[in-house]
Amino acid sequence: MTPPAIDTTALTRRFDDFTAVDHLNLRVDAGQFLGFLGPNGAGKSTTIKMLTGLLAPTSGSIRILGEDFEARPAQIKRQIGVVPEGMALFGRLTASEYLRFVGRMYGLDRATTLRRTQELLDFMQLAGEEKKLIADFSHGMQKKLALAAAVIHGPKVLFLDEPFEGVDAVAAGTLKAMLQRMIARGATIFLTSHVLEIVERLCSHVAIIHRGQLVAQGSLDELRAGAGRAGQSGSTTSAAQPGGEKKSLEQIFLEIVGADREGNPAATSVEQELSWLS
Amino acid sequence: MAELMGREYVPEALPAIPASTQLLAVAWLRWRIFANSVFRKRTKSKSQIAGLVFNVVLRLVTWPAMALLAVGPVVGSGFLAWTAISEGHRHSLAPLFLGITLLWQFVSINGLSIAATVPSFDPASLVRFPLRFGRYFVLRSLLGLLTASTIIGSLALLAAAVGIGVADSSLALPALAVMAVYALMNIYLTRMIGAWMERWLANRRFREIFSILMALFAVGFQFLNLRQVPEHTHDEGGSWLMSLVHSSGSYLDWLPSGFAAKAILLVRHRLEAVANFAGLLAVTVLFAAVFAVRLKKQFLGEYLSEGVGRRASLQASARVKKPTPQPAVFAAAEAASTIISPVVAACLRKDWLILRSNGAQLIALLMPLMFLAIFSMNQSIFGISSRYMLPAAIAYASATVLSSFYNVFGADGSGAQLYLLAPIRIRDVVVAKNLMSMALIGAEVGAAWTIVCALARTSIPFSAQVSTALWTIFLVATNLAIGTLRSIQAPRRFVPGQGRALRATPNNRSSALLALAMLFGSAMLMVPVGMASHYLGKPWLGAFVFGPLAVAAVAAYALLLKNAERLVLAYRDVIAEELCKT
Repeated sequence: MTPPAIDTTALTRRFDDFTAVDHLNLRVDAGQFLGFLGPNGAGKSTTIKMLTGLLAPTSGSIRILGEDFEARPAQIKRQIGVVPEGMALFGRLTASEYLRFVGRMYGLDRATTLRRTQELLDFMQLAGEEKKLIADFSHGMQKKLALAAAVIHGPKVLFLDEPFEGVDAVAAGTLKAMLQRMIARGATIFLTSHVLEIVERLCSHVAIIHRGQLVAQGSLDELRAGAGRAGQSGSTTSAAQPGGEKKSLEQIFLEIVGADREGNPAATSVEQELSWLS
Repeated sequence: MAELMGREYVPEALPAIPASTQLLAVAWLRWRIFANSVFRKRTKSKSQIAGLVFNVVLRLVTWPAMALLAVGPVVGSGFLAWTAISEGHRHSLAPLFLGITLLWQFVSINGLSIAATVPSFDPASLVRFPLRFGRYFVLRSLLGLLTASTIIGSLALLAAAVGIGVADSSLALPALAVMAVYALMNIYLTRMIGAWMERWLANRRFREIFSILMALFAVGFQFLNLRQVPEHTHDEGGSWLMSLVHSSGSYLDWLPSGFAAKAILLVRHRLEAVANFAGLLAVTVLFAAVFAVRLKKQFLGEYLSEGVGRRASLQASARVKKPTPQPAVFAAAEAASTIISPVVAACLRKDWLILRSNGAQLIALLMPLMFLAIFSMNQSIFGISSRYMLPAAIAYASATVLSSFYNVFGADGSGAQLYLLAPIRIRDVVVAKNLMSMALIGAEVGAAWTIVCALARTSIPFSAQVSTALWTIFLVATNLAIGTLRSIQAPRRFVPGQGRALRATPNNRSSALLALAMLFGSAMLMVPVGMASHYLGKPWLGAFVFGPLAVAAVAAYALLLKNAERLVLAYRDVIAEELCKT
């Protein structure tokens, strides 16, 4: 039986008296394209940092492709690719130099590294920019390069932290094409994004984290049906709106995390406070 | 693309990545970053090219000066080691090695990283790659060796080995071997201290305690100096030091310097030499191990910043916080806003808030004044007459504040974008920054003036005070003009109280060097004028020289202020890029 691509047990991260991630039990099967959502400060980036070994958990365990991260970090890092929040590029290299460096760090031989570098530069439409330093790249070009670097070694699990943030439609199209190809070849993708439309269009599954806790996980249809939500055993809400239209991911998301304790949309109180706008 | 995008996963056997592949890749990375910085310049505007030329010229002047500073310890070490062996002062070898270690660590804390004068990268960023810890440890040990401390320390140890070898050729090879290990010990000692200090200094409370301890140590050291030195003549002072060296000999035997000295001196008693060499190796391994413990935590994803926790606590407390009455300074700022522009008042208020919350900066402002009080109580040590004491005191007390003139937008970070976006005159922001700078320098100079006048044993002539006042105006106005220009042309983002946590850039090193050069240049101008005034019997000569200079400097500053709007707009891309990067 194939082990889950990502499997966390009671994963917790505290910063002094603040718990950023609280006993997270997350399971992502191999081949899934998971959108990991949550409001600002919910713990998305902290989770992704722990899953990629950039941040040590306070407690709990992480298994990637069936292997314990703490026991074999280097072995696991070889099989994952990461586009971190800040992209972590070396601005004083050219795109080609950067990809060659990353390829060698992942143990690819020289010939393979050179071949894949050229292919990736072509695919990402960066081939004409070979003499330019990365620091002079536009934001979209840097995102494309970061994704190219994340896949150069053919990872089995890909972690993407806000890959579409600040990216224009053309660059976003290239990124999506790359991600769809990765999924088609059986890779698992773990993506965080605030752009719910993109998640809805690309992802097969969605997990929602709120105040450090996993509050929902499942396929979009499962979430529409109200299943997969924490504390709910079955369907409690209608999958469709009164007009018969399917609920959008945004509506589901707001239902789960957007309401205050009394169930009122959070936006109401903001409008009341900003009376000068009315 | 085919092999990356194929439909089926081919189960990959994962053979170990050879260490040489990864180590060479990092070496290549370091080389490419260096080569690209030198040979492949980023797209530059005319003004940026002028800045580049300025940087090169500044380095041509400052690097030889720094090299000269290194020559002293290196030649001195070689000579002392030679003397120790050839003249039979073998017991002074261990104190010499200890001295080199202290110098090494001192320069490491205060010195410049030569490598930082060209762009580099944060070696901690390598943890995201599939490195084993052993390789990461080797890389972290090797990267960053090109520092002033390592270069001066290693050369001093090499010189000591040569000195020993020249004095007694039979000791040449053992001395070289022992000095090599001793250098390694020093490297790991530096790394160990650096890594643990980084850990401890991440805690705000520790930072505050550490700052106070350092201040107390510095003040206490000055008092020790006062009590010991004047009681002795120069020669007796020397013998006092030598007697301390002699009496500490038995303790030094148990320190790495003692092991190193005995491993060389007892080379004819093979067993004892080997035992001491083993002792030195053991200490080196111990330091490396303690460094490795800290590095392992970083490797496994330790998070040092307490920012997240603090932000959460602040958010929690903000929810229940009641409005507090405004402090008097805010009321004063608001009253002032009726006289000065509201933009200036708002910026002043913001900068005051930043200053108020920065304990380290407040200590940095107070420390020179405390030292000055101690110096002023005992002027005879320094042989400075009261005529020169006043400008010397002002130069000394104002050094820290003057250096801050050269990066006035740094603490604003990405917030500086607001100045470019808001419908305001940017000149008002510059005026506010300069007003804050002038308030600080005014307070510092005023306090220094009062201390010197109150504690000086002889009264300072009125003519000298007028001359000093005009020289101070010249000093402040010149630094304001050039500092404001550099703040616009070469800003650098920094977090108040965490300056060392952010990587230095060539630009801000240039500003620091320039600030230092301006201060020394101004001070050096004061000396000949003072001497001429004294020997020609013309007490008002200083006033006649510095009066026009002060007027010229103020005019230059006014001219800069007039063009501030245009300058900021011309450099807005530099400001946005440097201050808004994360």
